[in-house]
Amino acid sequence: MGYKRKKSENEGGEEPKPVEVEKEIKKRKGILPSMIKNKDKRSAVHAKLKQEKKLEKRKKVKARDAAEKRALELGEAPPKKETPKTIENTREEDETVWEAYDEELFAGNDADEFSAILKRESKPKILITTCRFNSSRGPAFIEELLSVIPNAQYYKRGTYDLKKIIEYANKKEFTSLIVVHTNRREPDALLIIGLPNGPTAHFKLSKLVLRKDIKNHGNPTSHEPELVLPNFTTRLGHRIGRLIRSLFPQEPNFRGRRVVTFHNQRDFIFFRHHRYIFETKETKHTDAKGKKTKDSKAETITEAKPIARLQECGPRFTLKLISLQHGTFDPRGGEYEWVHKPEMDTSRRRFFL
Amino acid sequence: MPRTTTLECPGCPPLRALTFDELGLIKVTEARSKQGGGVAKVVDRWGDPDASKCVLAASMDDRKVDPLLAVARRNGTIDFLNPLNGDLRLSVTNVTEGGVQPEEAAVSGLHLFAKQNLELGSRCCTLLTCTTKGNASIRSFEVTKSAEDITSAGSSRTWNVCAGGDILCSKVDNSERYSLFGGKRVEMNVWDLENCAKIWTAKSPPKNSLGIFTPTWFTSATFLSKDDHCKFVAGTNSHEVRLYDISAQRRPVISFDFRETPIKAVAADMDGYTIYIGNGSGDLASVDMRTGKLVGCFLGKCSGSIRSIARHPEFPVIASCGLDSYLRIWNVKTRQLLSAVFLKQHLTNVVFYSNFADEEAKITHPAADQLHQEEHIVPGTPNEDDGEALPVKKKKSKEKKRSKKEAKAESGNIEASEENGGKKLKSKKSSKRLKRDDLDDEL
Repeated sequence: MGYKRKKSENEGGEEPKPVEVEKEIKKRKGILPSMIKNKDKRSAVHAKLKQEKKLEKRKKVKARDAAEKRALELGEAPPKKETPKTIENTREEDETVWEAYDEELFAGNDADEFSAILKRESKPKILITTCRFNSSRGPAFIEELLSVIPNAQYYKRGTYDLKKIIEYANKKEFTSLIVVHTNRREPDALLIIGLPNGPTAHFKLSKLVLRKDIKNHGNPTSHEPELVLPNFTTRLGHRIGRLIRSLFPQEPNFRGRRVVTFHNQRDFIFFRHHRYIFETKETKHTDAKGKKTKDSKAETITEAKPIARLQECGPRFTLKLISLQHGTFDPRGGEYEWVHKPEMDTSRRRFFL
Repeated sequence: MPRTTTLECPGCPPLRALTFDELGLIKVTEARSKQGGGVAKVVDRWGDPDASKCVLAASMDDRKVDPLLAVARRNGTIDFLNPLNGDLRLSVTNVTEGGVQPEEAAVSGLHLFAKQNLELGSRCCTLLTCTTKGNASIRSFEVTKSAEDITSAGSSRTWNVCAGGDILCSKVDNSERYSLFGGKRVEMNVWDLENCAKIWTAKSPPKNSLGIFTPTWFTSATFLSKDDHCKFVAGTNSHEVRLYDISAQRRPVISFDFRETPIKAVAADMDGYTIYIGNGSGDLASVDMRTGKLVGCFLGKCSGSIRSIARHPEFPVIASCGLDSYLRIWNVKTRQLLSAVFLKQHLTNVVFYSNFADEEAKITHPAADQLHQEEHIVPGTPNEDDGEALPVKKKKSKEKKRSKKEAKAESGNIEASEENGGKKLKSKKSSKRLKRDDLDDEL
C-alpha cells in the first residue's frame, strides 16, 4: 500500500512540471527519503530533512518577529499578519453560493414552504416521534430535544406507518415532524419533515453528548431561544437553514438568554445549546506605552469591562445531510432535490451547504 | 479519492435552450461554438418571479418562419410567446370554461400543433391541453399582432380521457394524429385526435409471483420513433420502463427496472430505438429499446430529480434539467457532460430552439460550404440578437426552396462532423467504435 501511494505521489507531484524544474528540485532535495529502501538510511535522511525544516521554520519566525518589533519601535504599521490556509478558505468556487440582494432568491423565499412561519403568520408546532424500537439513549435524547424546541410534543411511534403519522400530523396542524432514528440503542439519524407539503431532510446524527454528560452544564429555561445559523452559504444550505429555522418560534425571548446554534462547517452541522450572561468585570489594564518610556512608572488602570460568559446546556450533536426530498416522506416514489452520491466526492474542498 | 475536481467540459455546439422554472421564469441559455469555447451561458430572462405562475408544461413549434411557444402556468393561463424575443403574443385562460378551480385544472400535458398551421394560415395556432383530471381539449386561437386581441377561432373540442385518477403524462406523435395519455391509476391509452376516439388501452401487467399487484402509476411517456405511432415507451413510478406496441399486444413488449427511484422523464432519440431516461434521484441513462439493454449512464454530479429531457434535432446532444436547478448539456455519443449552467430555481421543463445554429452560420456565410458549416464561423461575428429576427427570416424563406432531402443530408453531415470532433477529444477510441458509428449514420 505504501509503495503504491509513493508512486502516485511522485506522479502527481512531478509529471506536470517541466523537466528542468524537476532536475533542479532533485538537485536541491537530493533523493527523497521515501525512495530509499534501507530503513536505517531512510530514517536518517528523514530526520535530517526534518531538522532542516525545523530550523528553517524557526528562522522564519524569528525574522517575522524581528520585523514586527522594529515596526513597533519605529511606530510604523506592523507587517500584515498572514492568514493561515484552511480547508474552508480554500474552498472550491461554487456557483450556487447565494448573494444578498438577489431578486430571485427573495421571490423563491416567499414562495417556499416555510415562508408562513418565518413571516410570523403562523406558529410552529412540532411533533417528535421515533423509529419503531426505541430505548436507552433515544428517549433521553428526545426529552432533551423537547426542552430545546418550544411547542414540541412527543408521540409514541407504536407500529404506525410514517405516512399515516404524517397524515395525522397534518390533520392536527403540526408544522414539522421530527423522527429520531435509533440503531443499537444509539440515535443515529434525524428526519425533519416539513408539513403539509414541505421537504424532507434526512440527516446523519453523530457525536451525541447528552446533558448529564456535559461538565458544568446548565439547565435550560422555557424561554424562546435565539437562533444562530452561520455558514449556510449555498442555495441548498439556505434551504436547509430555513427548514431548521422553521422549527423554532420566530420571536426570541431575550430575557431567557438562551441561544441555540446550528453551525455549519464543511457540511457538518454542529448543534450547541447555550445560556449566556453579560457581566461587568473589573480588570487591571496596563498601558502598553508605559513599558517603552521607562521614566514613567507603568500605570495600571482598573476598568469595568463587560464580558460574556457561556454555559452549555442541552445536548450536543453533529448532523450531516444525506438527502433532501421534495414533498413529504416517500422513500419509494419521492423526488430528491439533493442526494449525496459518491461521484460528487471529488475533493476535500467541495462543500454543498 | 481523486483530488482533482475540475470537470473538463469540452463545450457544446452552438445551440439555444429555453428552460422554465417554478417561479414562472423563462431563461434562455445559449452556447456559441467559437466565442467563449462553447460554454453555455444564460443570455436572457423573461417574466417576473411569481410563484403562482409556475410553469407546468411547455410546448414549442419551432418552424423556421414565425415560431411560437406555448406555456401553461399554475394559475390556469396559457401564454403564447415568441421564442425569439419573449414577447407575449396571446394569453388565454384555462379556468373559465368549466368553472373549475385552477388547482383542479392544472395542465399536465400541452402540445402546440405544427401541421395544421400551414393549412389554416400562419396566424392560427391549435393547441391540445390535458388537465390532471383528464379533461382534454383541442382549441384554436388566432394570434394577432397586438397582444391584447384575443380571438378564439371556432373549432374547440373537449372530451374526457379518463374516468378516475390523474393524468400525468401525455404526448402527441409526430404526425399529430394520435395522442397518448397515462397517469396515476390510469393505464396508458392512445386516442385518435381527428375524431376523439380511444383506439387502444394498455392492460396492467399480471401479479408477480407473490401475488402482489403494483398499482398503475405512469409518470412519463414518449413515442419511440417519428414515423410510427404504434410503439411508445412509458416510465412508471415503480421505477419500471415499459415498451408498448399497439399493433402487437396490450401488455408491454419489453419491461425492465431502472435504479430505485421513479422514472421522471423519458425522451426518444431520432434514430428510433434509443431512449433517454431520467429518474427521481438524478440518474440519467440511455437505453436501446430494441433489446432493452442499458447503453450507459450519464455521469456528472447530477444530484436532483430530473424533470425534463430534450433531444436536439440536429446535433447529437441532449439537455436535462430538474430540481437541482442545473441545466446540463450532454453529448449523446460519448455520454460526456458538455456544459452545466446553474439557473437558481427548480426547473420544470427544457426545450431546444433548433433553428439557432444555422441562423448564426447563415448570417456570417450565406454561401458557405454546407459540410464545414461550423468550421467557417468567424469568431468575431456580431452577435445576432433576438431583435434581429427579420433578416433571418428572409434567409429562411430562401432556404425553404431547397428540397427536404438536402436538408436531411445536411443535418446528417453536421452530426457526422460533430462526431468527428468528439473523436478528436477521445484519442483512445478504437476503430471498432468508428465502424459502429458509421453504421449508425446509415440507419
